[in-house]
Amino acid sequence: MSSAAVNTAKTNAMTNASNAFLRLNDIAIMRGQRLIQQGLTHDMKAAGITLITGPNGSGKSSLLRAIAGRLAPAQGSIECNVPILYIGHQDGLSPALNGRQNLQSWANLNGYAATDGEIERAIDALNASNFADLPVRVLSRGQRRRFALARLCLGPEQALWLLDEPSAGLDIDTTQLLDRVISQHLDKGGMVMAATHLPLAPKTRPAILALDDINGATA
Amino acid sequence: MFDYLANPTRFVRIADMLFRPVAVLATGLILVGLYFALFDSPADYQQGDTVRIMYVHVPAAWLAVLGYVAMGVCALFYIVWRHPLADIALRAMAPIGALFAMLTLVTGSLWGKPMWGAWWVWDARLTSMLILFFFYLAVIALANGFDRAERGSRPAALLALVGVLNVPIVKFSVDWWNTLHQPASLIRSGGVSIDPSMLTPLLFMLAGFHLYFIALVILRMKALLIERRITSLQLRQARQTTKPGHATNTGTNA
Amino acid sequence: MNGFIQQIQRDLKIAWASRLDIGVILLFFVIIVTMFPLAIGPQPDILRPLAVPLLWIAAFLSILAGFDRLFAADLRDGWLDQVALSTLPLFAYVIAKAVAHWLVSALPLLLAVPIVGLLLQVESAVLPSLVIALLIGTAALTLLGVIGASLASGARQAGGLMALLVLPLALPVLIFGVLASQPEAGMLLSPHLKLLAAVLLVLLAIAPPVAAAALGEADDDGGA
Repeated sequence: MSSAAVNTAKTNAMTNASNAFLRLNDIAIMRGQRLIQQGLTHDMKAAGITLITGPNGSGKSSLLRAIAGRLAPAQGSIECNVPILYIGHQDGLSPALNGRQNLQSWANLNGYAATDGEIERAIDALNASNFADLPVRVLSRGQRRRFALARLCLGPEQALWLLDEPSAGLDIDTTQLLDRVISQHLDKGGMVMAATHLPLAPKTRPAILALDDINGATA
Repeated sequence: MFDYLANPTRFVRIADMLFRPVAVLATGLILVGLYFALFDSPADYQQGDTVRIMYVHVPAAWLAVLGYVAMGVCALFYIVWRHPLADIALRAMAPIGALFAMLTLVTGSLWGKPMWGAWWVWDARLTSMLILFFFYLAVIALANGFDRAERGSRPAALLALVGVLNVPIVKFSVDWWNTLHQPASLIRSGGVSIDPSMLTPLLFMLAGFHLYFIALVILRMKALLIERRITSLQLRQARQTTKPGHATNTGTNA
Repeated sequence: MNGFIQQIQRDLKIAWASRLDIGVILLFFVIIVTMFPLAIGPQPDILRPLAVPLLWIAAFLSILAGFDRLFAADLRDGWLDQVALSTLPLFAYVIAKAVAHWLVSALPLLLAVPIVGLLLQVESAVLPSLVIALLIGTAALTLLGVIGASLASGARQAGGLMALLVLPLALPVLIFGVLASQPEAGMLLSPHLKLLAAVLLVLLAIAPPVAAAALGEADDDGGA
C-alpha cells in the first residue's frame, strides 16, 4: 500500500503560451472488486510529458483508461482542460479497411475535417505510405501500430495524448519517428502521458510516475 | 488498506440477527395458513378439493411478480447510486423469484390437470408466468455468465430494469393473443368466487410467503457476501506467492 | 449529425468488405424455412395457415444469429474507446449500429420474403401487410439485439446468452407482428400494426440508453 513516487524533471521550454493542464487528485482505481492503485496525485502542464512505469498489474493501462474517461476512478478526481487523444493497447483499427480508410473514418468520427493531404502527411510522419492501401488485417503488429499512432498527427494541437505502450512492436527507425512526433507536439504546447517499459522521447526529459503493484509482493 | 467490506460486514451481523425470527415467523404463518387451507375452508362447488392448490398457487404467483419488481428496484439502486449491497441483493433474489415462478407453473399445472385433462394449456396467466420465468433465467444466466464473476453485475442489473419495463408489455400482448386465439378461458378472470372463509388461509399463506422470501434472500445475501470475501482472499494469496527474484515475465503485454 | 452518418457509413463499408456474409444470412433463412415443410409435411392445406408465423420465426432466428457480431468487432478493435472519446454520444453510436445492422441483416431478408414465401405457400394477397409488418418487427428485433449484444458481450457463451435475453423480450413483437401480417378485411394499417409500431417506439426509447450504459465502461481487459 503506497502512493506513487513522483520524480519531477525539468520541464521543456514552451514556445506557445498555453493554459493546458492535467491534474490527478488522490486517485484510487479498482477493477471489479480489486483495488489496483490508490493515492495517485500528479500535475502536468502544457508541454509536459510523463512516463508511467511499473510492473505488470500495477495499473498503468487502467490509469490511462481512467484519465481517458473509460474507467471511473473509485476515489478522487481528474481534471483536464484540453481534448484527449487515447491510443490504448488496442489499435482502434478495423481489419477490414485499409490504413487510409481507417484514418479517414476516425477523423470523420471526431469531426476533424482532415483533407486527403493531411491524411497523407500523417501517414508519412510514421512512414506508412507503402502499405496504406492494404487491408489492415494483412499488416504486421508494428505496421498497424503506425496507423494507430498516425492519428496523433490528425488531432488538435494542444491536446493531451494518452499512450499505452506506444513503441511496443515498433522498430528503431519508427520509434525515432514517434519520438519526433512527440517532440513536435510538446513544442506546440501539448501534453503527453505514456505507459511504457521502453525508453520514449528521451530528449524531452520526461517526468516519471512509477507505480507499485500494491496487491503483490513488491521488490 | 482500503476496507470496502465495512458495510457488508455490518450487514452480515444484522442478517444473522434477523434470520431466525423471520424464518420462524414465516414457518408459523405458513403452517397456520395450511391448516386453514386444508381443513377449515370450504371446497369449491365446481372444482371440489383441488381448489385448495390455489392457496399455494396464488401467493407463489404474487411473490414471483413482486420478486421481479424488487429485483428491478435493486437494479435501480445499483445502476444509479452504485450501492454495493444492491448488486448482492439482486443476485440473491433472482433464483428465489425464479423458484416461485416455477412453483406457480407447477401448481398451475397440477391444478389444471383434473379440470382440463392436460398437464399444460396455454392459458393467458400461465403463459405470462412462463415468460416471466424466462426473464428470471436470463438475469441469472447473465449475472453468472462472465469469467470474472463481478463483471456480470452491471449487465444483469440493466437487464432487470429492461425486464421490469417489458413485463407489462408482455402481459398485455399475451392477454391480447389469448383473447384472439382461445375462445374459452377455463380459469375465468375473476378466479374462483372468494368466500370470506377462503380469505383467511389465503392471507396467512400470503404473509408467510412474503416472510419466507425475505428469509431466503437474507440467507443468500449472507452466503454471497462470504463467497465474495473468500474470492478476494484467494486472489490476494495468489499474488503474494509470487516470490521476488524469480524470473517473472515482465515483458510487454502488447 | 455528421458523426452518426459516418458511423453508419463505416459499418456499411466494413460489411461490404465481407459482403458474402449477407448470402450466409439469406441461406440460413431459406434453410430454416425449408425445415418446416420437411418436418410438417408438404400438404398446402396444412402449410398455408402456418406460412406467415413460420416466416416470422425463421426471420427472427436468422437475424438473431448475427447479434453477437453487433459490437464484438468494435470492442475487440478498440474502436468503442475512440467513439467514447469523440463528440458522438454513445446512444447515437448505438442507434447508428442498429441502423447499419438492420440494413445489412434484415433488409435482404425482407427483399427475399416474396420468393421464400413461395416455399410455404404464402398467399400473395398477404404479402404487402406481411412485408410492412416484418419491416417494423425486424427493426424492433434489431433494437432488442442491441440490448442483448451490449449486455452479453464478453460473456462465456455470448451467443446463447444473447438468444436467452432477446427471445423472451421479442415475444410481444412476434405476437403483434404475426397478427399484423394477416389483418382482417385486408386493411394495411390494422390495430395490430399500430401496436407493433408502439412496441418499436418503446424499444427505441429504451435500447439506446441501456446499451450506452452497458458499453459505457467496457473494458478491453488487457494490458497492465
